[in-house]
Amino acid sequence: MTNASPLDTTIEVITPENIAFEYQLAGPFRRLPAYLIDVAARWTIIFLVGLTLLFVGLLTDIGSLSSFLLATMLVFYFIISWFYGTFFETHFNGRTIGKWACGLRVICVDGRPIDGTRAVVRNLVRIADIAPFAALSQFAEDAPPVFLIPTGMIGFISVICTRRMQRLGDIAAGTMVVIDEKSWRLPVTKVDDPRVPALASYIPGDYRISRSMARTLAVYCERRAYLTPSRRREIAMHLTTPLIERFEFRPDVDPDLLMVALYHATFLSDSRSEPVAMGPLASASPLLRDAKKLTVQATIASSTESLMNDASNSARAAGVASSEMPVDLLQPVILSEPLEAKES
Amino acid sequence: MNFAKVLERRQQQWIELEKLCDSLELSGKDKRNGAAGISRFASLYRAACADLALADSYQLPPATVTYLHRLVARAHNRLYRASRIDPTTWAETVFKVAPHQIFSDPCVRVATLLFFGLFFLSALIGVNEDWFPDYVQKLVGEQQISQLEQMYEQPINGSLDHYVGMAGFYIMHNTGIGLQCFAFGVLIIPCVFELAFNAVTLGAMFGYMAREDSVGGDNFLHFVTAHGPFELTAIALAGAAGLRFGIGLFHTGGLTRATSLRLAARRAVPIMAASACLFFLAAFTEGFISPSPLPYLIKAGWAIFSAGLISFYFIVLGFPQHSERHQADDETMHYDPLADPDERSTHAT
Repeated sequence: MTNASPLDTTIEVITPENIAFEYQLAGPFRRLPAYLIDVAARWTIIFLVGLTLLFVGLLTDIGSLSSFLLATMLVFYFIISWFYGTFFETHFNGRTIGKWACGLRVICVDGRPIDGTRAVVRNLVRIADIAPFAALSQFAEDAPPVFLIPTGMIGFISVICTRRMQRLGDIAAGTMVVIDEKSWRLPVTKVDDPRVPALASYIPGDYRISRSMARTLAVYCERRAYLTPSRRREIAMHLTTPLIERFEFRPDVDPDLLMVALYHATFLSDSRSEPVAMGPLASASPLLRDAKKLTVQATIASSTESLMNDASNSARAAGVASSEMPVDLLQPVILSEPLEAKES
Repeated sequence: MNFAKVLERRQQQWIELEKLCDSLELSGKDKRNGAAGISRFASLYRAACADLALADSYQLPPATVTYLHRLVARAHNRLYRASRIDPTTWAETVFKVAPHQIFSDPCVRVATLLFFGLFFLSALIGVNEDWFPDYVQKLVGEQQISQLEQMYEQPINGSLDHYVGMAGFYIMHNTGIGLQCFAFGVLIIPCVFELAFNAVTLGAMFGYMAREDSVGGDNFLHFVTAHGPFELTAIALAGAAGLRFGIGLFHTGGLTRATSLRLAARRAVPIMAASACLFFLAAFTEGFISPSPLPYLIKAGWAIFSAGLISFYFIVLGFPQHSERHQADDETMHYDPLADPDERSTHAT
């Protein structure tokens, strides 16, 4: 697709299965905690090994063994401090301890897993990425130790300036860091309101919901839980006002309700032809031409009070109408009342 | 299309795939179900891929599509795992790829010339007290010089204890500097600075110690002879690797900058590996042979032997053979601006 890509931190990857899926890139403020955890882990490993070697040295106390232990320690320190990341990334599929804790993973830019050479390069170049500290101490031999704190500005600038959020080591190795968390609970938006299928059944059969309309409806229904009723109405109105005219509905039909009904018709109902169990709502038509008939019915209903009570009781017994929403079933006003947001 | 029903049907498999993803996280092996679990995982993954591919025609809501993207990405990472470092391929890299590359790489020549040129120039200036009386003192500093003199005042006589510890220290310290030199190559200037700085300082020290009237000069030369060839070549090579790496940033040869840098890093790694090997050899020599009270003849012999070894490695093993050179060209030519469509497009726009 060549349309303007959204301003987002996702990157598309095409797999050997010939599908394209999206990775979420990890920005600098997700990677920093991972790096700090890695530093802590590295020093913990060094400290533990050093302690073990010290104890071995103290316990055995054989003449020249201690210097061997010292040499081992120094070599071990060298290897850990330079090749910690390389080892973990190649053995645990692109994850170090810090990345594992923060739900990150490093992969190649084309979506393949990281290989040895790339892991070596990106971990060696880290020293340049955290740079300004080492560069300072190179110019001033007896610089105070405060300069040993890496500022990481080079890596930071590189991360925010590249599209894949790569530091220099990533660019050199051709890798990127992506978020690889557990996928969250599958969201399904459902609205349990008896008025929704009822209204949906009034949508003319010749109205075809276009692809972009379907996407809009889905986004709207996922998001409407976060909006106040008046805000929902305000947003939905732009879309529903022409639709209400087209469907010849009464102008006071709630825009939010109509959006949810359209969503229901698009995603949740099996087919249009299937008759909807209207129950007590059967007489509440949104159509403009039925409006007059309804007012007549309403007057009849108000005169026969027992009938209305029966109707609302049966509706409660069937569990259709939710109890916190007292619907005055036979009043034509109901379709203009806002929906309660109910997600499941 | 009733999407709730589609979900109900497919969700079972998606949840199963998620569970398999969890169990495959660490080792890539399903401990409970073995091979059956793996093949089940593969088919579930393909099914999820198909679901994602059809998501658009199903008109699934965006949140479900996002979920599927994540699920497929997760499973993809389990299926295509990182290959572990295989030490059996190192021999090929060390004895074939690296010498060829080093022999044919102009960056190595530049770095070597720069390093040894500055080194000898500095040594020449340092040794000439009459013409340049304050050169060494100003460059290295009085304190350093007196330290140096103190160190070599006594004839060399280290014990084994001392050797082993020192070998470890040299591995850590010197190889670390070499790796730093390589890593800073990406910024070029720190790398060149490090290379030149080492060349000038070492040269000045050598020159100072080689003066007729220097304190401990004989001991110093006695000490440095054995590991000199390894150490100096290693420094030059580390600088060369850094230079190779950094050159990729602006000498792109028609590639995008990022691709060029990536290729340059790939080419620099064998040089760096060779340099690290030399640093290790130098450290062992420096730890065991140099401080030992062996006669000078043996140390000089070792120096000649090591110089011969280096020459053999870089010249005999590295001399380009016709067929291999073509192969090497192919390797660099096939690279993937084609396979990287968005990088190409950003370049074009």
